[in-house]
Amino acid sequence: MTLPEQAKFRKVTSPSSENCSRREMLQCSGSGLTLAAASGIAPFVFAGCERVELPSVPRVKVGILHSQTGMMGMNESSLRDAELLAIDEINAGGGILGHLIDAVVKDGRSGFTDTFPAQATKLLADEQVPVVFGCWTSASRKAVLPIFERFNGLLFYPLQYEGNESSYNIVYSGSLPNQQILPAIDWLISEPGGSKRRFYLIGSDYVFPWTAHHIIEKYFASLNRDDLQIVGYKYVPMGAREFRETVQEIGERSPDVIFSTINGTSNQSFFRELAAQNVSPETTPVMSTSVGEDELRSMRLGEIEGQLATWSYVQSIDTPRNRRFVRRFQNEHGEDRVLSDPMEAAYSQVYLWKLMVEKARSFDVDAIRDALSSGIEFNAPSGPLKLDGRTFHAFKRCRIGRVREDRQFDIVYESPDTIAPDPYPNFAFPGWDCNWTRGGITQGERIKIARPKKFVATA
Amino acid sequence: MFYWIYDVPTHQLALGMAALFVGFSWLGVILIRPFVRLFVLRRRSDANDVVGYILSCFCVFYGLLLGLIAVAAYQNFSSVDASVSNEAAALAALYEDVSVYAEPHGQDLRWLLRDFCRYTIRYAWPEYQQGRIPEGSEVRLKAFQERLLAFEPETPSQEIVHAEALRQFNVFMERYRIRQHSVSTGIPAIMWYVVIIGAVLNIMLVWLFDIDFLSHLALGGVLAFFLSTVILLIAAMDNPFRGEVSIQPEAFETLYWDRMRQ
Repeated sequence: MTLPEQAKFRKVTSPSSENCSRREMLQCSGSGLTLAAASGIAPFVFAGCERVELPSVPRVKVGILHSQTGMMGMNESSLRDAELLAIDEINAGGGILGHLIDAVVKDGRSGFTDTFPAQATKLLADEQVPVVFGCWTSASRKAVLPIFERFNGLLFYPLQYEGNESSYNIVYSGSLPNQQILPAIDWLISEPGGSKRRFYLIGSDYVFPWTAHHIIEKYFASLNRDDLQIVGYKYVPMGAREFRETVQEIGERSPDVIFSTINGTSNQSFFRELAAQNVSPETTPVMSTSVGEDELRSMRLGEIEGQLATWSYVQSIDTPRNRRFVRRFQNEHGEDRVLSDPMEAAYSQVYLWKLMVEKARSFDVDAIRDALSSGIEFNAPSGPLKLDGRTFHAFKRCRIGRVREDRQFDIVYESPDTIAPDPYPNFAFPGWDCNWTRGGITQGERIKIARPKKFVATA
Repeated sequence: MFYWIYDVPTHQLALGMAALFVGFSWLGVILIRPFVRLFVLRRRSDANDVVGYILSCFCVFYGLLLGLIAVAAYQNFSSVDASVSNEAAALAALYEDVSVYAEPHGQDLRWLLRDFCRYTIRYAWPEYQQGRIPEGSEVRLKAFQERLLAFEPETPSQEIVHAEALRQFNVFMERYRIRQHSVSTGIPAIMWYVVIIGAVLNIMLVWLFDIDFLSHLALGGVLAFFLSTVILLIAAMDNPFRGEVSIQPEAFETLYWDRMRQ
């Protein structure tokens, strides 16, 4: 367009002009309309260019700290799976207090005294999680305990353990000896249990068997029965595979029952040797505290069928709640996956924490603990599960199972009700008590639980 | 760069980019054109020829660049897609290998592989779509490797099976590493700068034409729209795990449901 044309254009754009041709009018209108339409549409179109924010659902992080690799990797990974299942269920149900849960999973790498504390520090200090579900071995629990106390974190520990411990920063959802071992002893000496009198105690060489045997010894003494007798002790190194001499010695002592606190893969070798030396469950049964459905997979049926184990939960519990739990887990992970007592405790403890948070209406650790003081109850797959505000331990039922041919347990005994937790049985730890609602731990007579060297078998 | 675009639905992104490019083109025609004509074009009558010549030269190079980048992005997308399929195939072969191990070792190994596959589909893939590599996959594979190495063959046939499983595991790991690496692959930022600056210059050159106003709007708009679609195509194909146009874990899902969960 030349300058005269521009002048003409300026002229005709004047609204007062009477010389505006139809063509020019159409051009101007078209331009105006295009611009107007562009300005009108632009905000809607450009709205799509903003980062899409999903409906803002607040999230809360929780820690999961188990060994996923190393010696305990296979066992502890199952607990991780159970805890993640509970978290998925809770999230599917809307979360907790309107928050969805983000699990921060860390690998303890079976480094009980080095990796576990380091990972616990990461979770509490860096990730700032209000709660951690974790650990399996007592060694790892004891190693992380000071970290949780320093950062005022909360650890949920799902394993049955030896007791003789309480912490303001740990909730123990597994069984104590007075809920697992003593009911099994009572049953064994009763008529339905075969009126056993002569006990042989065997265990792995670490703190749980040492303490368990101390408690059993003191319990027998407290019963004031001359006919009950511990005919022998033996501690085998963790991972031991040679049991020939040990079983020979057991044979020489002629016990009525072998009470085993052997942990881990040694159980395979132990039961194999028992079968090899014809120590049958009919004559001398073994009552195990650490042989669950997961361990049974790795044993030959002929070597373990008919043997006994004491737990709070077994997969074969025939209740709608448990069937639902088993089905849900197997739907997630496969029909051939089995469930065990620690897995059930790991699953349930996530719900216990949920209930505590809902009761406290806060994720704050102190508020949660306050909520616990009046007790928390959850309908777990093993039955009603109640947390004790005094000891931060759980009320648990005891079940004794006999191994059947599908490597599951037939329940031969079930305690009539849940058993109150007692981390310090008075006959074993005189003067000791724990009550977090009234001042915490009362210290009594100093008891030294140590490695009894004279009973230790060589590897 | 511009990773936020992968959070926008593709149709909205297409509309947005088209509006941005066309809007920019029109804005220039409306606001810049009068000044250009006033101060530059009126001084010579063959201005359109000069601008056309420059634009065509520029378009050759720029078009070549865009074309090559688009092809590279598509090839990268295809090769990553193939590597995911290859990885799933290697995983399937490994699963078959460990299925013949004696129990419970075989069962443990199968569980671990199944867990890895499930984790990949359910937890790792959403992380890949955000450009992150979760540590859970690595942990699961380490657990599997430990368990595999813990097996001690007792018979010659077990030795053969074990050797084959170890070989297959190495194959799988190689493919797994390739996929892990491809999570963060993409067109370098410098190339994106060249593409964007080139597009801007292209549109700006069109402003310099001396043609009828509406024709100017229409032609400039068409060119800008075409540029936006080609750049959208490149952006969508770039970063193969991100956005709506991305690689999905179908190969793993098929393996998981059809073989591992049977």
